Amino acid sequence: MKNKLISLFFSAQKINRQHIQLVLVIVSIAMLALGIGAPTDGSGGR
Amino acid sequence: MILLLAIALGLATGICWARWRGQPYQPPELQNLWLVFVAFLPQFIVVYLPITRRLFPDWLVVGFLLASQIMLLIFVWLNRRMMGMSILLCGVALNILVMTTNGGFMPISPQTASRLVSEDTLREIGPGSRFGIKDILLHPEDTRFEWLADRFLPPVWFPYQVAFSLGDVFIALGAFWLLAQPTSTLQFTKQLIDNRGIST
Repeated sequence: MKNKLISLFFSAQKINRQHIQLVLVIVSIAMLALGIGAPTDGSGGR
Repeated sequence: MILLLAIALGLATGICWARWRGQPYQPPELQNLWLVFVAFLPQFIVVYLPITRRLFPDWLVVGFLLASQIMLLIFVWLNRRMMGMSILLCGVALNILVMTTNGGFMPISPQTASRLVSEDTLREIGPGSRFGIKDILLHPEDTRFEWLADRFLPPVWFPYQVAFSLGDVFIALGAFWLLAQPTSTLQFTKQLIDNRGIST
């Protein structure tokens, strides 16, 4: 358990500012594309 | 779905390209990122969120949709120096043009819609009614800028059937380019063309 916590701590440390920035940019591009795009597959009916 | 696929493909291409050059992947440097979150929120509530989207009348949905798209257009304009954003800008302009001139929704003809839903469902909806998330069912003769409407379809044998517009094609291309070539700016492309011009 202790080892798992330690490995989790070290892997969390690897998530740096750049990773967060990358996620933010991808999420915002996805929101942008969904917001301005209007393709329809007919499944999103009212 | 088709737009998210373009984003995933763009990201995969960008990462592979960066690895091949032995460099870490650099995401595009976008300015005023907060504007996207603010702009998308009203649209998410009135169009995408299943719990809330049934609560709003169509006139209010149109208002929110238009306000949201104008804010997103401003964001794209502010970042237009990037090559991908310039392509996206064309897509936004085309989609906004066709939607605003057709009552605020993206027009789709009954013929195109018949590839997406059954005939019975189509009869129930009827022309002039909303279809899907952002579309409105309109006959081509009643549609302004019909060539910009959701009129393109993949081949019949393709497992995922989706109707998309010319604007959507530009948006998918722009999003792909933005993530596949994140450092590509208009100035850089212009310099590249100029240099090639000099060398030849």
